[in-house]
Amino acid sequence: MIGCYVTGVLPRSTELIGKTRAYERRKISKKELEESFEKAVESLIKDQISAGLNYITDGMLRWQDLLRPFTENLKGITVGGLTRWFNNNTFYRKPIITDCIEREKDVVINMTHLEKLPKNLPWKAILPAPYTFVSLSENQYYKDEAEFMFRVAGIINEEIRSLAEAGFSYIQLSDPALVYEPSAPKSKKDKLALVNDVLRTAVRGTPTKTCLQTFFGDFSKILPEALDFPVDHLGIDLYETDFEKLKEYSLEKGVALGLVDSRSSLVEEPSELVAVAREIIESIYRSNIGEVFICPNCDLDFLPWEKAEEKMKALSSATKRLREESL
Amino acid sequence: MNKLFPTQEVGSLAKPRWRTKGYRGKPLSREEINEAVHWGRKLGIENLEELVKLLSEGDFASEKRALLEWSAKYAIRFFETAGLDIFFDGEQWRSEMYEHVIRKTAGFKFLGYVKSFDYRYFNKAACIDKPKYTKPFYIDEFLFTKENTKRGIKVPFTGAYTLVDWTFNEYYEKKLSEEIRDFRRRKFEAKREFLFDVIKEVIRPEISKLAGAGAKWIQIDEPAATTDPTDEEMKLFVECFNETVKGFDCAFSLHNCYSNYEVLAKCACELRNCSQLSLEFANRDSRQAGTGNERTGYKAMKSFEEHSFEGNYGLGVVDVHTNFVESPELVRDRILHVVKIVGDPSRICVSPDCGLRTRTWEISFRKLKNMVLGAELARKALE
Repeated sequence: MIGCYVTGVLPRSTELIGKTRAYERRKISKKELEESFEKAVESLIKDQISAGLNYITDGMLRWQDLLRPFTENLKGITVGGLTRWFNNNTFYRKPIITDCIEREKDVVINMTHLEKLPKNLPWKAILPAPYTFVSLSENQYYKDEAEFMFRVAGIINEEIRSLAEAGFSYIQLSDPALVYEPSAPKSKKDKLALVNDVLRTAVRGTPTKTCLQTFFGDFSKILPEALDFPVDHLGIDLYETDFEKLKEYSLEKGVALGLVDSRSSLVEEPSELVAVAREIIESIYRSNIGEVFICPNCDLDFLPWEKAEEKMKALSSATKRLREESL
Repeated sequence: MNKLFPTQEVGSLAKPRWRTKGYRGKPLSREEINEAVHWGRKLGIENLEELVKLLSEGDFASEKRALLEWSAKYAIRFFETAGLDIFFDGEQWRSEMYEHVIRKTAGFKFLGYVKSFDYRYFNKAACIDKPKYTKPFYIDEFLFTKENTKRGIKVPFTGAYTLVDWTFNEYYEKKLSEEIRDFRRRKFEAKREFLFDVIKEVIRPEISKLAGAGAKWIQIDEPAATTDPTDEEMKLFVECFNETVKGFDCAFSLHNCYSNYEVLAKCACELRNCSQLSLEFANRDSRQAGTGNERTGYKAMKSFEEHSFEGNYGLGVVDVHTNFVESPELVRDRILHVVKIVGDPSRICVSPDCGLRTRTWEISFRKLKNMVLGAELARKALE
């Protein structure tokens, strides 16, 4: 099976950007801002459907950063200062952990426009992976980092269960911190063994498909350990990953190939994407081909909306051609 | 400069309403004109009535250049009156540090707003052709500043690394798409080629003109310097700085702020012809006076010294993101604390953390004035 979907926050349209700025300057009401969000969500969902994506998200337009819904809604966390988002010219607000973290209500569902999602297509939701959550927080409470990570995993697990109940069939856990290593990594084996256990807690007993999406770093560096992670699919940023190293491994799980570069405005040629995808698929699946998704390497909100739209078309057209050639 | 602890500013100063609205051709309110009169008197602006006439008549379309000159003159007198030794014109001729250069250079196209954080965005351009120098972008502003002050001039100059880091790289990524198959290597090589073309085609021609016109000191602004802190990128950044300044007969400094100083410190001693690092510290520091063993905000200074940076420091002693006005005593103690770390007091220039564009003129003036007084107190303390 070869499909495609997006892997993160989609950009706000020029019109919505204008409204959010006007709201900040107190020139429009909260109600008017809300209406603009609703309109933008509708058009984003339409765009995903017409591009032929296999799983639909609500675009996550309200998410100020990957952690913010949790930073703002979990007990025991306060919203900290602006911090650089990996190696980008964008910023997130650091969660400051001041007490035992508690989930008192649904977090992601309350941020999501369930009523606008299509009834006849499967839905995908995106959450931070526990490792990334912990790496990007300032922990002033937990004495043991592993305890903190398992606590986050427990909360993610509750979130996945409630998303599944609401109708989501695919959950992506975004884990950029796991592969982003500007300096030499420390004790990789121990770290990855812990991540394996933590992920097990996060996905335990959930009925959805799950994907661990890595980006901003080289996926081949967490191999072979990542092959045993308790998820259905592994997501790879091909603009950061060493192709040749990746091709040395044989996979049984599905993959999400981040072939479209969300951090570049140059729209990819579908023919090139097809060629690279084929090459990788043929190397990593020596016998049975697993489930394959073609996707952007990370959140498309690094781009203006019009470019993101073109990129979605490029990925869907590459996917169609791969399907037709049926490998 | 022979005096100990010379005082300087970093670059931008807020633009008065009469300058921004006037430049867009919008009529001014009485209050906005009064503001020009108020500051004009306070700063002793010559021929003030001419400006008032211009602002009141409101025919700005043919007077854009005059508006730039007037607001530059205000900023220059502002810094002089506050008592600074080294400054520019508060970047009054520039819309913003990135757009100003990109809009005046061929090969770029603005694609629209992208997210910075929360409900803040920035207008991001793509490089769609080989960058080409079409017209000077700083020279007129420099010449005007030079004509209008006898004090030291430092020209703020947006660095190539930041221009490239903040721009989509369509042209070079496409150009290398046949040649380099591996996406990761292609992106890196495309960035490299883009960077060195910008330096050769755009940055160096402008520096050459500035040096030819008598600029003695150029401050390379690189807020993006440690965005990607890998060794490979930091090596590229150093190479970029060195290539930018190579062979020119004037002094260069580097301004970098809200960054990763541990990473910058490691490579600072490899920057050639970098006579000063202008760095931000005050925003992280306690507001209590005192020179004790530790001032929380200035810890990173030690890293630069440990990694043997030998140039001077533009020491940030004034936080530009708050209206809290540092007392002269607090400024003095920040300076004296750093003297203890660095040893040689002649390596310290006294400075705000960054440009003051987000503060009102009222607050900026009080902050700078106290900074000058604080430097004087520090001088006295060492006598």
